[in-house]
Amino acid sequence: MAEPAKNQAVDRTRIFYVPERARVMTTRQEPSATFVELGFEDGRPLNHHPGQFVQVSVFGYGEAPISVCSSPTRPESFALCVQSMGNVSRAIADLTPGDWVGIRGPYGRGCFPIDRMKNKDVLLIAGGIGMAPLRGLIQFICDNRDDYGRFMVVYGAKTPSDILFREETEQWTENPDLDFYRTVDEPDDEWEGRTGVVTEPLKEIDIDPENTIAAACGPPVMFRFIAMDLLKKKLPEERIYFSLERRFKCGIGKCGHCQLNDLYVCQDGPVFRYADLLKRTEAGEVWAPEKDQDTA
Amino acid sequence: MTAPENRVIPASNFTRFLEAIMAEQPVIGPRERPDQPGFYRFGRLARAEDFAPDYGTTTVPPKKTFAALREKLFSFTLDSPPELDLHFDSSPFVLLGIHPCDLSGIDALDHAYSQPPAEVRWTANRRRASLIGLDCRPDSYCFCTQVGTESNRNPCDLFLTPMEDGYLVEVHSDAGAALLEKADTRKAGEEDEAAAEQWRREKAAGIVPEFDAPVEKIADILEVGGLTPVWKETADRCYSCGSCNTTCPTCFCFDMVDDIEPDLSGGARYRTWDSCQLLDFALVASGHNFRGERWQRVRHRWQRKFLYLYRQFDRPYCTGCGRCSRACTADINLVDVANRLIAAAQKEA
Ligand SMILES: Cc1cc2nc3c(=O)[nH]c(=O)nc-3n(C[C@H](O)[C@H](O)[C@H](O)COP(=O)(O)OP(=O)(O)OC[C@H]3O[C@@H](n4cnc5c(N)ncnc54)[C@H](O)[C@@H]3O)c2cc1C
Ligand code: SF4
Ligand code: SF4
Ligand code: FES
Repeated sequence: MAEPAKNQAVDRTRIFYVPERARVMTTRQEPSATFVELGFEDGRPLNHHPGQFVQVSVFGYGEAPISVCSSPTRPESFALCVQSMGNVSRAIADLTPGDWVGIRGPYGRGCFPIDRMKNKDVLLIAGGIGMAPLRGLIQFICDNRDDYGRFMVVYGAKTPSDILFREETEQWTENPDLDFYRTVDEPDDEWEGRTGVVTEPLKEIDIDPENTIAAACGPPVMFRFIAMDLLKKKLPEERIYFSLERRFKCGIGKCGHCQLNDLYVCQDGPVFRYADLLKRTEAGEVWAPEKDQDTA
Repeated sequence: MTAPENRVIPASNFTRFLEAIMAEQPVIGPRERPDQPGFYRFGRLARAEDFAPDYGTTTVPPKKTFAALREKLFSFTLDSPPELDLHFDSSPFVLLGIHPCDLSGIDALDHAYSQPPAEVRWTANRRRASLIGLDCRPDSYCFCTQVGTESNRNPCDLFLTPMEDGYLVEVHSDAGAALLEKADTRKAGEEDEAAAEQWRREKAAGIVPEFDAPVEKIADILEVGGLTPVWKETADRCYSCGSCNTTCPTCFCFDMVDDIEPDLSGGARYRTWDSCQLLDFALVASGHNFRGERWQRVRHRWQRKFLYLYRQFDRPYCTGCGRCSRACTADINLVDVANRLIAAAQKEA
């Protein structure tokens, strides 16, 4: 057998579970989430593709997969937008500038198809925290605006105080580069915008089905309704992309937690073509749980 | 290397051989549990006599020597910035007395964990070890012949087949040949080979459970689907305790958790074995459980072992060791479920 591995001989950068240190540069509290801007010690960029995620360590609390919500076109730092849901995400919300976290990644071979989207009309649909990964893509397209056709973004939040990136989304409303539709499920007294679930504004939008690519991110149940609306608009299944959530532990196709039939969502995704998901029963069961088909 | 001739090591020489190895490196092998006579587990042998060559299948498979139930991945300080320490043990050891099915279990994890990016801790621990296999006698749960592992030798350095006085020794690697130099052996003759062959014949004849279709058919059956009634009737009996996973030599799913030192000076991240049968395995923070129904988890275990990993690595992720059936609190037997699946598929057709 080969020489036993010596301590020093193990190349640390190739050990997938060892995070790299990154420093918190700024933080911002939003009503329902925390925005954290990070940078590596040596100032190098993260070099991610829109749609990829990182495994964020808060040492002593653990790790959680979080989408990169900034664009690689703005490489000075990278940003996360995190909702407090449990152990690690609460610890992320408590971070202050100067604190250290661990970062693994960027991970995920399935990203938003920025090349395929070129010269096409792009329709993005975000529900809730699903805005986080899409915001990176929105920034990316805005920074390369000439490469893309019509640009439409639909964003649904539960209540006005759940709206993420409040100021930025306000600017998008004015921005001629994109058609931005923002809606809330439950308005409050001050809300003057649209009311209704995310598929409501979607119904109004006319698309050119021959020349459009759509991508969506949001809670599991949302996908089914979005898919129905998009198919009604004659958009083919293979030009609809969904970014999925699963329980992640390793983020690189080893721990088995994120498996969706034969796919590892962490490694093969997290962004998938709807056409590919349709072939997988474990995807279908989420959208139509009453139907128990179990073909693989 | 070219296949070297087999050797024979008489019983008395074997003890001296073990002692010679143990003088240089630890030997981990099957030994009787002091707390539970008649039950065996892999552990470090204190004396050559601790080796229990006629042990029956252990509850926990020997994969634990390469990936511990709870394995420290690295430790960290809580300083600013935190310092990480990854200690890799590099001292060699011998893993002795592994049955053919358990060698196949190690092979399964070699495949799974070497997929890039490789799981370096498994690989590093594997590199530390020399493997000495040992042939066995089946009990009523064993079904290695049904998955083709009864004469598996991969991976091992030496392989022992018990004989009336000692063992027939097959040499499977240069490291094995080097190890065997410590032993006083003789060339195996025709009679010795015949005795070993007889052992294998009796072993195969002693296997009771049978699949009603070849194992490769099970993948096709799972792929076609329409098996929900079988999943549901199995799930009706299952407690989702996870014993079937945690005793399985080919299961490799894991969790990662942090622990903090009581004095808050630092902590460590651990990798622990996990089970896809547990309710929260696919639960996400928003509250959605992607396999919230027990029958979905039962189905997943089967699809993973006999379809996805089968197709990916061209071998079933089952070694026929029977541990899951032995361990099951609900007495669910893997071969029985396989045959229900086969029967259900035949009814469909
Ligand atoms: C690709 C991807 C991208 C993501 N991007 C983002 C993002 O940009 N922003 C964001 O906010 N989130 C994102 N998420 C979700 C985020 O990863 C989770 O919210 C996060 O992992 C929660 O981890 P935690 O440690 O805070 O929660 P945990 O402590 O793990 O617990 C969260 C909840 O899970 C349940 N739970 C956990 N363990 C158990 C148990 N043993 N028994 C019962 N219930 C249990 C509980 O309901 C608990 O409240 C993303 C997820 C994925 C997969
Ligand atoms: S599935 Fe059961 S019989 Fe097959 S290898 Fe695992 S524990 Fe052994
Ligand atoms: S050991 Fe038996 S009861 Fe426990 S999870 Fe496995 S099949 Fe179910
Ligand atoms: S998160 Fe571990 S396999 Fe995907």
